[in-house]
Amino acid sequence: MPAKKLVKQVYGKGDYMNTNKLKKIGSADLIIYFILLLISFIMLYPVLYMFSVSLSDINAVVRNEVKFYPVGFSLEAYRMFLKDARILKSYYNTIVYSILGTFFSLSFTSLMAYPLSIRSFCMKKFNTVFLTITMFIGGGLIPYYMTIRNLGMVDTIWVIVIPGSVGAWNVIIYKTFFLGIPDSLRESAYIDGANDILILFRIILPVSKALLATMGLFSIVGIWNDFFTALIFINTNSKQPLQILLRSILILNTFSNTELDKINKAKEVNTQTVKAAAIVVAVLPLMIIYPFLQKYFAKGILIGSIKG
Amino acid sequence: MINLPSERIELSYTKKIVNYKYAAIKAIKRDKYLILMSIPGLLITFLFKYLPIYGLLMVFTRYNPAKGIWGSEWVGFYYFESIFKDPYIIRCVKNTLLLGIYSLVWSFPAPIVLALLLNEVKTIWFKKMVQTLTYLPHFISAVIFIGFLRQILSPSTGLINFLLSQMGIDKINFFGRQEWFRTLYIGSGILQGVGFGAIIYLAALSNIDVSIYEAAIIDGANRWQRIIYINIPGIMPTVSILLIFALAGILGNDSLKILLMYSPQTYETADVLGTYIYRMGIENNNFSFGAALGLMLSIVSFILIVVSNYASKKISETSLW
Repeated sequence: MPAKKLVKQVYGKGDYMNTNKLKKIGSADLIIYFILLLISFIMLYPVLYMFSVSLSDINAVVRNEVKFYPVGFSLEAYRMFLKDARILKSYYNTIVYSILGTFFSLSFTSLMAYPLSIRSFCMKKFNTVFLTITMFIGGGLIPYYMTIRNLGMVDTIWVIVIPGSVGAWNVIIYKTFFLGIPDSLRESAYIDGANDILILFRIILPVSKALLATMGLFSIVGIWNDFFTALIFINTNSKQPLQILLRSILILNTFSNTELDKINKAKEVNTQTVKAAAIVVAVLPLMIIYPFLQKYFAKGILIGSIKG
Repeated sequence: MINLPSERIELSYTKKIVNYKYAAIKAIKRDKYLILMSIPGLLITFLFKYLPIYGLLMVFTRYNPAKGIWGSEWVGFYYFESIFKDPYIIRCVKNTLLLGIYSLVWSFPAPIVLALLLNEVKTIWFKKMVQTLTYLPHFISAVIFIGFLRQILSPSTGLINFLLSQMGIDKINFFGRQEWFRTLYIGSGILQGVGFGAIIYLAALSNIDVSIYEAAIIDGANRWQRIIYINIPGIMPTVSILLIFALAGILGNDSLKILLMYSPQTYETADVLGTYIYRMGIENNNFSFGAALGLMLSIVSFILIVVSNYASKKISETSLW
C-alpha cells in the first residue's frame, strides 16, 4: 500500500477503503452521522419547543399548532410572569445564594487545601485523615436535618451557602492543583518576607485562575439548580429560591399564592404558555453563558477523574 | 527571620531538637498562619459532617427534638426491628433494586456507545456540535427537566399525546401510570447524563496510541475490527473503574428526581428507600425510623463498594484501592 494513501487513511477524513474519490464518506459514516444528528435533535428539541410555546399565541398552543417555531407571536406569558413580585424575589434570592455560596466555597476550600500542599505542615496528616473519613462515613439525611435544626440554621440563608462549601473531594482537587505550582514561586516570596496568607492570596490564587473558574462554575450551577436544601430547610416564602417556585408551578401545578394563582383559579387564561415562559426564564442565564463555559465543564470533570 | 521551606523541613527532622514538646510548640509557631487557614474548613467539616455521625445515635432512641438524644427515651434496636415489620419496606427495596439494575443495564452503557460513535466522527465541527448539545441537559436542573417532560407528556395538553391521538392511539397519562414510571426514570436519566458521561470515555479514547491504529490498518483491520480490538480494550480500565462506582451506587437512586416524578398513584413502582426515608423522617416527623433506615442503607452500600472493588481486583486487576 503506498505511504501517501496510508497516511490519508489514518489521519484523513473517514475510511478510504473505497477508492472512488467522490465517495469520501462511506456508508458507515453516514449511519453514524445520522444517529448522532438524531441524538442531538432529541437533546435540543425540548428547549426549542418550550421556547416556541412561551412566545406563541395561547390559542395556537391550545390547538397544538406549535411544533418547532412560535405561532402567532405574543409576549403575554412573559409579561404575566415577570410582573409577579414573588417570582422576581425568588429569582433575586437564587442569584444571591449562588454568588455567596460560590464565594464561600472557593475561599474556604482554597484555605483548607493550601496548607495541605506544603510538605512540612504540622497538621497535614490530621487534616487529611479528618477529611478523608467523611468521604466514607456520613450520618445520612435525617441526622443531618436534626443537626441543622439544632444549630438553629433552619430558615436562614446560611443553610444554603455554608454546609456544602467545603468537601473532601474538592479539597483533594485543589490540593493536587496547588502541588503542580512550582515551589520556587513560594520560596522566593518567603525570602521577600511574605507570610503564608499573603502567599496564598497574592501568588497561589492568581496562578490558579483556571481551577477557580472551573470549580466556581460547578458551584454556581450546583446552587442554582438545587431545590432539595430549600425544600427541607426554608419555610419562609420570601427566602425561597427560584427552583422551589418552579417546582410548585411546574410539578405541583399550584402557583402557590403568586399573583398567577388568581389567574389560574379564575381559568382566565391557559397556563401552558406561562409554564413554558417559567422554564425559559430559569434556563436562560445558563443558555447564554453555556457556549462560553462548556469547555471549562469538560475540563473540570477530567480534573476530578484523573486525580481520583 | 527568613523562613525558607527547606529550613522548615530541617527544623522538624534534625536530631538537633531533643525536646519533643519544644519541637511541637516551635512547629505550631512556625505554621501559625497555616493552622489559622485550616480552621474554617475544619470547623465546617466538624459541624456538618461529624455532628450528623454523632447524631446517628438517635436510631436507638424515640427521638424527640426538644429533648435531644440523651433526653429521649432509649429503645435499643426497636426501630431496626420495626423496619422489618414495615408493610411498605418490601416494595421500597424491590423498587430500589429494580431501578438500580435497570440503570446499570441501560444508563451505564449509553455513554460508552456515544463515545465510540463520536470517536468515529472526523469532522471536527460536527463532533463539537454534537458534544455541546449532548452536555446541555446535564446542566438543566432536575425541576426544570421534569417540568419539560410533564409538559410534553401531559395527557390533556402535551404534544406527544396530541401526536398519538392523531395517529389514532389512545392518550396515555404517562406520569400517572405506574407501569410507565421506570421507563420515564431511566429514559430521562439517559437523556440528562449520556453526553456528560461520554466525556471521560472520549478522553480515554484520545489517549490510545495512534501507532496501534497504523499497525492495525497495515494488517488489514477494517473499521469494525479496529473498534472491537483497539477502542474497546483501550477504554476497559476506565469502564471497570466506573463500573465499580455504578455497582456500589446501585442502591443510590436519584431520589431527588423521583421526588419530583412520583405521586401517590405511582408509589407502587416509584417509591424507593430514599424517598421513603424522606417521607417518614421529614414529612411525618418519624425521625428515628428514617435515620435507622438510612443507616441500614448506607451500611449495605458500603459493603457493596468493598465487594465490587474486590471482585474487580480479582477479575480485571483494576481497583479503587
